[in-house]
Amino acid sequence: MRSFIKKDLLIFWRDRKELMTVLLLPIVLVVVLNFAFSGLLGNDEESGMDLQLAVVNQDDETEAMADLQEKLTREASLGESEAAALVEQASHADPVQMLFDFLDSEDVTEIVTVHQLEEDETIEKAQAGEMDGILVIPNGFAADSLYAAFTGESPATSLVFKMENETMNTSALFQIINGFMEQMNFQFALQAAGSEPDAEVMLPEGGFEEVEAVESHSFSLTQYFTVAMGALFSLFIAATVATKTGEEIRQQVFNRILLTNSHSVLFLIGKVVSTFFLAWFQMMFVFMFSQAVLDAFPDRSITFWLGTIGIVTLLSLSIAGLGAVFTAISLRVTNIDAANGIFFLVIILFGVIGGNFVPVYVMPDWLQQIGEWTPNGRALVMLTEWIQFEELSSIIMPSMLLIGFFLLCIVIGLILFPKRGKAS
Amino acid sequence: MLETINVSKSFKGKKAVQDVSLYLDNGESVGLIGPNGAGKSTTISMISTLIKPTSGEIKLNGANTINKPEKIRKILGVVPQELALYQELSAYENLKFFGSIYKMKGNDLEKRIQRALEIVGLADRQKDLVKTFSGGMKRRVNIAAALLHRPQILILDEPTVGIDPQSRNHILETVRALNEKDGTTILYTSHYMEEVEQLCDRLYIMDYGEVIAAGTKAELLSILQAEDTVKAELSKMDEAFIQQVKTIDGVRKAEASHLQLKIIAKKGSNLISELVHLADQHQLQIINFHTETPSLEDVFLHLTGRTLRD
Ligand SMILES: Nc1ncnc2c1ncn2[C@@H]1O[C@H](COP(=O)(O)OP(=O)(O)OP(=O)(O)O)[C@@H](O)[C@H]1O
Ligand SMILES: [Mg+2]
Repeated sequence: MRSFIKKDLLIFWRDRKELMTVLLLPIVLVVVLNFAFSGLLGNDEESGMDLQLAVVNQDDETEAMADLQEKLTREASLGESEAAALVEQASHADPVQMLFDFLDSEDVTEIVTVHQLEEDETIEKAQAGEMDGILVIPNGFAADSLYAAFTGESPATSLVFKMENETMNTSALFQIINGFMEQMNFQFALQAAGSEPDAEVMLPEGGFEEVEAVESHSFSLTQYFTVAMGALFSLFIAATVATKTGEEIRQQVFNRILLTNSHSVLFLIGKVVSTFFLAWFQMMFVFMFSQAVLDAFPDRSITFWLGTIGIVTLLSLSIAGLGAVFTAISLRVTNIDAANGIFFLVIILFGVIGGNFVPVYVMPDWLQQIGEWTPNGRALVMLTEWIQFEELSSIIMPSMLLIGFFLLCIVIGLILFPKRGKAS
Repeated sequence: MLETINVSKSFKGKKAVQDVSLYLDNGESVGLIGPNGAGKSTTISMISTLIKPTSGEIKLNGANTINKPEKIRKILGVVPQELALYQELSAYENLKFFGSIYKMKGNDLEKRIQRALEIVGLADRQKDLVKTFSGGMKRRVNIAAALLHRPQILILDEPTVGIDPQSRNHILETVRALNEKDGTTILYTSHYMEEVEQLCDRLYIMDYGEVIAAGTKAELLSILQAEDTVKAELSKMDEAFIQQVKTIDGVRKAEASHLQLKIIAKKGSNLISELVHLADQHQLQIINFHTETPSLEDVFLHLTGRTLRD
């Protein structure tokens, strides 16, 4: 067995040009894509997304100013005229209006579709998975926010962001709304400072409540490219190894191997192991390079890296399985070139539906669902979730699936593996 | 020790080999000769268990090998027509890989590798990648790889095709030594008659998938030995003399052009003395006179109406 593995790895090692291509191409692409896209989109990392946001407005804007006036006179013991002046000032800065203006702005409408709905309707839609997030503007929100801005107290009510499941999309939405809140608070602070030089103005804290909050990291474009290219190119290794098998047939060495009476499984194991190592090293190179040069994963823990290595290992394993199937097929077919062509097509197909070329959310649902059954698609989801949430529980099931995929492939490879020479 | 009994092979209904029966005795050196596409390689592939015959049997010491290929594979060394080597590995690495999958190890393997490289005369180039070798050197490594496990039977499929005379001689000498010194049984395929004539005790001639003749060199030549071709150069032309020659007992044909006379006669006819006697009568001299012996190439020509190589 060692002889086979050694031989396969040695052959790859000898073909330095191919080895370099295999190892460097994904890295080059990560760099190129990264710079191309970050330049093009002005670092807008979530661009290209189509996020569905339901907005439930429970606040009555017509009453907001009256409420504010009452609150200012009653609770902050301001004089009637003083309060009226503040209300006048505030009427130009209705937070609810500002929120809608913000959601209507060109930057946001590009990626977020806003649905103004009633609450029960919203829940239905959210449960059906049509909404990526729900934003609830509670009753009294405008008055409370403004009051808090003037007094420096914490607001009594806050926006509520709800979601059904934590996904990349929901966290993107969360980031957007959070950004708005920060911006609004900052503006309030400026306004308050401008009109009331003596007043002690504090930036209202919070004002925004995250429901089902999970500590999460954002998912950057660089990270997406790293993960997508790493997984995609490692897939190609399965095909590359099968191509080598084709060469072994053409060069008749396979026949010579058969004549030694060595067990056919050893040949297959040689392919599986070398595919595994190549895929593993390739992906690790991509990650290491992205980290070292592009700082793709800043300040991440050892746990994060261990998990990432684990996922890479599992993906390499399933790719090795795919290599076994391709190898066995190569040994069976009469037209090796056609077979190689088909392998590459299969891999491109896997790459597309697995989301390695374009993010999956641009594809129809049914395709996304099929895509999750490809090892690369599965690993991509695992990695994206791992990068954001670092939750072990979220990767255990998919890990099992990857191992299952590997075992299934090995069984298929063994069944297809020919016992005699090719031309029998 | 090894025999095929009426083996046939069809590829998608097209017959490549038909009813080939041949045998190899221990220590023999046997040639298999035929033009391109005769079915030599196909026959060899069937013997070496790489292709399953469509029909017929292959027996090693009386035991059928077709469904139990392991035994014959163990004692068989095959030098395929195409190079069966990893171009990206060195000669040494190739041999080491093939040796180790023959389950040889350590010192023993090392010795065998060096011995095989010596036999083919490549010990000094063993560290070089096969792809940097000349055609002849590659063919020699190809042979070395078949020798590692010291096979009792060595099958060589056109091992000298497309190489320089020096490498060719080296290969022929190697094969002869393996046969004569080590007692290896040889099945040697070629479409060079002279190689087979030099090396082999017996030979089979194949054409269009069938064995059309078999036997020792002498036996095959005797196919043509029913007739002799005699050529004579005359001092002058005499039509009456020619007519008389045609009446000699056993002469099939007599043709003259200029001063050359060509006679085809049955073997053993009293041609020469009759010819001298007649020349005396017609007062002319026979200046030059020779009998042509047929070659194996002539045998092939006689059997197929074609030459071995176009
Ligand atoms: N795998 C195959 N599929 C289809 N036809 C084949 C195959 N192998 C051989 N043939 C056919 O069988 C016939 C015999 O081929 P074979 O290779 O045995 O000839 P050969 O005597 O070795 O010729 P050469 O001297 O050119 O090597 C040829 O007509 C060839 O086209
Ligand atoms: Mg041939």
